[in-house]
Amino acid sequence: MAHYLHWILFLPLFAAAFSALFLRRQGAIAAWFSTATAFTIAGLALKVLLTGGDVTWHIELAKFGDISLGFGYLLDANARLMLFVVSFVAAWIHLFSVGYMQEDEARGRFFAGLSIFMFSILGIVVADNLLMTFIFWELVGFSSYMLIAHYFDKDYAAAASRKAFITNRVGDLGFILGIAMCLSLYGTLNFSELAQLKPVGGFPVILGALLMCGFLGKSAQFPLHVWLTDAMAGPTPVSALIHAATMVAAGVYFMARVHFMLAADVLNLMAISGAGMAALAGLCALAQTDIKKSLAYSTLAHLGIMGCALGLGRPDLAVLHMAMHAFFKAALFLGAGSVIHGCHHEQDMLKMGGLLKKMPLTAATFIAATLSNCAVPFFAGWYSKDAIIEAAHEHNFAIFAFLSIAALATCLYSGRMIRLVFLGEANSEAAEHAHESPWTMTLPIVVLGLVYSIAGGFLAHSLIPASALGVVAKPLEEMAFHLTAPASIVGLLALLLGFGGALKFYGITRGKDALQLLSPRTYHLLEHRWMDGLYRWYIDSIQRRLAEFIAFLDLLLINGVAVRWIAGGVPAVLGYFTGRSFHRGQTRGYALWIVLGTLFLAWFLIAR
Amino acid sequence: MPDGLFMFFAALTLGAALLLVLSRNAVTSAMGMILALVGVAAEFFLLDAYFLGVLQVLVYAGAVMVLFLFIIMLLNTDDPEGTYPWKTAAIGLAAFFLLGAGVLWLFHWSGAVPQTLAGPTPPELSINPAEFTTSAKSFGRLLYTKYLLPLEIAGFLLLVALVGVVSLSKDAKEDNA
Amino acid sequence: MENTSLAHHLILAGLLFVLGLTGVLVRRNLLVVYMCLELMLAAATLALVAFSRFNRTMDGAVLVFFVITVAAAEVAVGLALIVALFRRRGTVQSDALNTLRD
Repeated sequence: MAHYLHWILFLPLFAAAFSALFLRRQGAIAAWFSTATAFTIAGLALKVLLTGGDVTWHIELAKFGDISLGFGYLLDANARLMLFVVSFVAAWIHLFSVGYMQEDEARGRFFAGLSIFMFSILGIVVADNLLMTFIFWELVGFSSYMLIAHYFDKDYAAAASRKAFITNRVGDLGFILGIAMCLSLYGTLNFSELAQLKPVGGFPVILGALLMCGFLGKSAQFPLHVWLTDAMAGPTPVSALIHAATMVAAGVYFMARVHFMLAADVLNLMAISGAGMAALAGLCALAQTDIKKSLAYSTLAHLGIMGCALGLGRPDLAVLHMAMHAFFKAALFLGAGSVIHGCHHEQDMLKMGGLLKKMPLTAATFIAATLSNCAVPFFAGWYSKDAIIEAAHEHNFAIFAFLSIAALATCLYSGRMIRLVFLGEANSEAAEHAHESPWTMTLPIVVLGLVYSIAGGFLAHSLIPASALGVVAKPLEEMAFHLTAPASIVGLLALLLGFGGALKFYGITRGKDALQLLSPRTYHLLEHRWMDGLYRWYIDSIQRRLAEFIAFLDLLLINGVAVRWIAGGVPAVLGYFTGRSFHRGQTRGYALWIVLGTLFLAWFLIAR
Repeated sequence: MPDGLFMFFAALTLGAALLLVLSRNAVTSAMGMILALVGVAAEFFLLDAYFLGVLQVLVYAGAVMVLFLFIIMLLNTDDPEGTYPWKTAAIGLAAFFLLGAGVLWLFHWSGAVPQTLAGPTPPELSINPAEFTTSAKSFGRLLYTKYLLPLEIAGFLLLVALVGVVSLSKDAKEDNA
Repeated sequence: MENTSLAHHLILAGLLFVLGLTGVLVRRNLLVVYMCLELMLAAATLALVAFSRFNRTMDGAVLVFFVITVAAAEVAVGLALIVALFRRRGTVQSDALNTLRD
């Protein structure tokens, strides 16, 4: 099996290198080349998923004392599922990009970036030790930075890419400290060896908290979530691939993989902050006019739900939800991309409307994916989301309450989106002349959205169990009976209230947001600008002062006393005795001093 | 008293090195350098490190010195260096004699280096990979096991040097134009 | 060969090293200075091989292998630098290269 993994991992690297080196000017060839690679990988991953069977393969690269560093694969049930989800979603997004980026001049760079991203994320999936995970983790950060900054001549894109990169570094600092701590405590970074360790008294809380830092950054959890919404400055397929389906899911996947190392306190914190963020982000999605931003907040909400599931001690549910979410959120983003493309790059939802008739295929899939997003029974999202809410209900009422708010908010913003974009009448010139997109764009949406939202049952009952994931969705009969459980009742209520209410409420006005008219203050609060303001305040008044203070110390002690004093003092004394300038700009003179210094050191070492 | 071959090649190496340092003409210096390197290679042979001796001749006396000669002729720096001021000569002589005396003291009179003789020639091949042997096989065995990572890094370094040289010579051309 | 001791080889290596060092100190032609540097490196490898032979371990010899590799790379880059310098300044005399003094 390991040779399949070699192909899966290194094919995209090869594609990226080849595109970057030889196909920079041949955008069309690069696009199809990259897409063909992605589909090959998807096929191989499906083969791996259906074959099953765990793989462990390791090669040692270096050994320092007792510490062995290496490169290897650890393929378990979660990894197989993640491998399939990532490569499958990515393949269709590649195809979509072929159409979406048709007129872009830097297509070679774009597709090389997509391929290098594939390489990085697949590396995280198969990695068998923490260090390798970290290296690919950083590669993911780099490729995400590169793809967000695709339109680097636009200021907002450059700023957004920097923000994403720096915010992720903050989390990664904790991550690498966690790795160092793990190495010093247990002397190994290998997942399987760590899993067998079972230290007395469990793994320390600090270790779990440090490892969680990486998850906070990459999966955009509170308080490091601010980069995700800005990351929408990249091209839409990038938003779909990286910032909805795969990259942010990498954090969830990683947490599931090291779940055994997380102490109970860490898990509780994760559950509460995840549930809180789910509710907050769901509500914030109501006050966004940019269609992609609104979807980004929706992603935040779902990530919160996944984090909550992890915290509740149900990593299997988190991974299940991650897989389902990847499909329908990718479909939503691609649908949004198709809408934006059709409306001549208009992203403001208030200026759309009535697109149901003009873009029927896109509309149908978008609505199907939305229903999945709202966890309508028997659509894909329902299988995982309701199970998580139910787990919360058994566990803790506060978390359950937060998740219920999140569920309601999800239905509200979904209804709002559909009402504003597809129903009613066109609100601008661009929406008036909207047109359906070419087949390279509609086919991926149809496959990802329509097929997988409706075939969620197939996904939950046949394909994902093939990965031998411990717990999967319950059988259908049990599900139907289950509709009367508290979680399901909350879900259905939220659905009726939220969806229906939103459709009605946002029909009142045209070209304006109804909530903004009704209560401007609430709307402003939900626009979620205050988090950036908070960070600005923190950096301006705390971090910068600290940095200035440290810089002052550096100037005074290191630069002033240690360096300048010696560098200036010694030649001055010597120059005083020899009667002329010390710095004469002659190489040989400097060489002589180097020799004398070396001799002094040698004497010092020998005499000792 | 050490054997004759060692003394002969030691004298040859030192004489050639002296020629390298003292000659006014850069080409003569390079000739001295080649001779000195061949002398060092001969010392390698005497130390039973045949593989390294061959490598020294091939890489140093062959490739590297040819490169030097090319550059010397390319730059054509035939202008005489002129007479050295007495101070430079004094520094040179003082450095040579002082440091030379230091070397003799450290390795001979101080008694820090044991006076054991070399003993019999090492085996041609040994089961123990760490033992000194005369064959090139031992190098291969160590290079691809214990020193695998350094070997990879050295290979990478050569690549970096290659790229660096290309970019350096390219920049110079653009500056000239 | 059986009659030489470690000290003989070390003295030879040390004297070669000192000769190279003297060359670096007094010569003004950068190319000759560079050759003297290489001579110092060769002297160091000689000492390494001697230690390796007398300790009957292979590690010193393998290290020499790496030194030769690195030296080859270093010569290539160094000569390229000297050529670039010559193209820009028209000289390889170290005394003329003192722009950084001021």
